[in-house]
Amino acid sequence: MRHSIIRKPLLRKYFISTDHKVVGLQYAVTSLVFLLVGFLLMLLARWQLAWPGTPVPLVGAWLGEANAPGGVILPEFYNQLIAMHGTIMVFLAVVPLAVGAFGNYLVPLQIGASDMAFPRLNAASFWLYLLGGLVMLAGFVAPGGAANSGWTSYPPLADLATTGQTVWLAGMLCIIVSSLLGSVNLITTVVQLRAPGLTWFRLPFFVWAQLVTAFLLLLAFPPLQAAALLQGMDRLAGTSFFLPTGLVVSGQAVAAAGDGSPLLWQHLFWFLAHPEVYVLILPAMGIVAEVIANNARRPLWGYRTMVRAALFLGFMSFTVWAHHMFLTGMGTVLSGFFQATTMIISVPSIVVMTALLLSLHRGSIRFTTPMLFALAFIPMFAIGGLTGLPLGLATTDVPLHDTNYVVGHFHYVVAPGTIFALFAGIYHWYPKVTGRLLHDGLGRIHFVGSLVAMNGIFLPMFVQGLGGVNRRLYDGGLQYAHAHGLAGLNVGMSYAAWLLAAVQLVFVVNLLMSLRSGRMAGDNPWQATTLEWTAAPTPPLAHGNFASPPRVFHPAYEYSVPGAAADFTPQNEEVG
Amino acid sequence: MRRVRTIPYSATARPDTGLTNARLAMWLFLASEAMLFGALFSSYVLLRTGAVAWPRQGDILDVPLAAINTVVLLASSGAMWTATRTVNAAAQRRALALTVLLGLLFLGLKGVEWAGELGRGLRPADSNFLGLYFLLTGLHALHVLGGVLASGWLLSTAASAMRRDPALFVTRVRVAGLYWHFVDAIWIVLFVVLYLT
Ligand code: HEM
Ligand SMILES: [Cu+2]
Repeated sequence: MRHSIIRKPLLRKYFISTDHKVVGLQYAVTSLVFLLVGFLLMLLARWQLAWPGTPVPLVGAWLGEANAPGGVILPEFYNQLIAMHGTIMVFLAVVPLAVGAFGNYLVPLQIGASDMAFPRLNAASFWLYLLGGLVMLAGFVAPGGAANSGWTSYPPLADLATTGQTVWLAGMLCIIVSSLLGSVNLITTVVQLRAPGLTWFRLPFFVWAQLVTAFLLLLAFPPLQAAALLQGMDRLAGTSFFLPTGLVVSGQAVAAAGDGSPLLWQHLFWFLAHPEVYVLILPAMGIVAEVIANNARRPLWGYRTMVRAALFLGFMSFTVWAHHMFLTGMGTVLSGFFQATTMIISVPSIVVMTALLLSLHRGSIRFTTPMLFALAFIPMFAIGGLTGLPLGLATTDVPLHDTNYVVGHFHYVVAPGTIFALFAGIYHWYPKVTGRLLHDGLGRIHFVGSLVAMNGIFLPMFVQGLGGVNRRLYDGGLQYAHAHGLAGLNVGMSYAAWLLAAVQLVFVVNLLMSLRSGRMAGDNPWQATTLEWTAAPTPPLAHGNFASPPRVFHPAYEYSVPGAAADFTPQNEEVG
Repeated sequence: MRRVRTIPYSATARPDTGLTNARLAMWLFLASEAMLFGALFSSYVLLRTGAVAWPRQGDILDVPLAAINTVVLLASSGAMWTATRTVNAAAQRRALALTVLLGLLFLGLKGVEWAGELGRGLRPADSNFLGLYFLLTGLHALHVLGGVLASGWLLSTAASAMRRDPALFVTRVRVAGLYWHFVDAIWIVLFVVLYLT
């Protein structure tokens, strides 16, 4: 008979286990590494933007003569950096962290299940994701370097780009399949494995957010899969699905049958990529809701409304994709439709934000580190969301499209928006995973530094964009007279980026140090109500999660209930 | 002590949802598959309506052979249907075997068809129609292959699975059936769109 004192070999514990917590941690570590890689690519690009044409210090010599002769980044290499930065951040870092890591680790615990519905499939999704990521990175050693046509891979450019684009497509197909398997698994888990008594409207908002997200991934990714197959055919089998007749590149007629449609790619791509932005934001809203309710010691204000808003958001997100394409010459009727849907879809986001704000009302707020990140999420996301409105109206989008204003818009929603929420989640649930709290002082440095630095990077982008500076220019716009006055901003933005890097070091140190020396958390350090804290030990059991299957008697956020014994009522506390 | 960990509702339906895990998962997966083929069919429509010229499809392709293949696939769906309905284990195994054989026959005939087309010098690059034809039928054939492998696996494990956990096995066969009928339905649409219009 084996005793629990005998440690399982590390290999078995962390590499071939199919337990949802291990898979969640695998996702977490991998996606954090990708987050770092994506960030480093950007730091290189930011050097080039601030001081175009000067050699990159320290690492310049390692970039290779083909990419950066004498350490000076070539335009072609800059394009690779930007394309891979976007791709890695969206598909390999933020979404896998939000969905693969948080979803996998927490959803079964929060719904009182012993694992995901299909543990082996779950592990397979992770390995496919890792494979896809490695394939993507392998692009850098392909002839001509990595993909360089932007994360949107628009043809005809992408059809005719160097081999790296084929590698990109292969990597993307792995990621898509991984994500499809993952979302099937998550939905099945939530629908089928909820604990007795855990009715739909007792689910934590986080679970709802993950559920809607999984539906978006499930239904939006296949069109990109189709698009990737079509583009792969164009590149490998010589078809011209995306190549128009009579295409001339650099004075040379392109040898292809023609009669294809570059716009078709844009439709297929944005049919995925718009829902994808809600995949980026919904789990973030879910995390923030948990952290805010817990630290304000108040039930979520309008919980049911929030759930309905999230459902409506998910549904509507399939109807707005062409707001990325106003400049493609679509007719006024069509553009009118997409403008209207875009305005409508901002309503549920605002409903959720308002509900979160109102949840603070009359709360006795604890300003813990996770709470600071969660609180900052609200105004930061608001800046991102509100700057989206002028982009959603064709008249104002015409001058703003493809400028740094758009870059500013989506970075506000994703960086100090989603990534802040993910930070909040890490500070909040780190004790659940490790049994120890993260260091609070270091956490505050991380918070303040990130807040200042992110605004320092992204706020000037609006100014540049309104001044007409286009995105994706390898010299920051110096080749255009109208950009000269605004190019100087790039220097400050790049300094802010170094600051951001420095405070992330603090975060990494905190993550590693606290593993050993963090304060012991106890079972329920935040005095939370949801099952992962109240029904499972901290850190959780290696297998099975719960010593005995939990039963649920309460809604998710019974904080400060008048007359209750404590200021929180665990969901599984039996009613007398 | 080792605790046995079993995921509930693998073999029996959850009372309030009326579904087994695998059944729900298969429906979800098929929804995503519908989006995949839906996107490809939409691309077909968009490219065809925007095309300057479109070949007469029926003149290029081997319509009679494809029609025979359609019958083969329909027959295989019938066999699969029997496999999911029958309560007799031996009959079930026979029906599964027939499904696999008909699936293989379909793939063989499809291979003959492709070989004929390639032999006549037709290539995906010739026109968007041929490109889509090869892509769609190729992707569909991969789906059939997946179904054949899954059904073959079920068949090879049938005896022991029926002994260990008959309810689980029956669920698996039913879920495989769902997939098989879906792949069949996709073929019908393919056949109509690519050969008959
Ligand atoms: C809430 C209201 C929002 C509105 C009205 C809105 C509107 C828009 C519009 C119209 C564009 C296209 C701009 C152009 O290319 O000219 C755009 C771009 C973008 N938005 Fe939003 N957005 C909103 C929220 C979000 C959220 C929540 C996210 C992600 C978390 C997001 C991520 C993006 C991204 C990544 C792009 C740029 C894609 C690219 O061209 O590379 N947006 N937004
Ligand atoms: Cu959009």
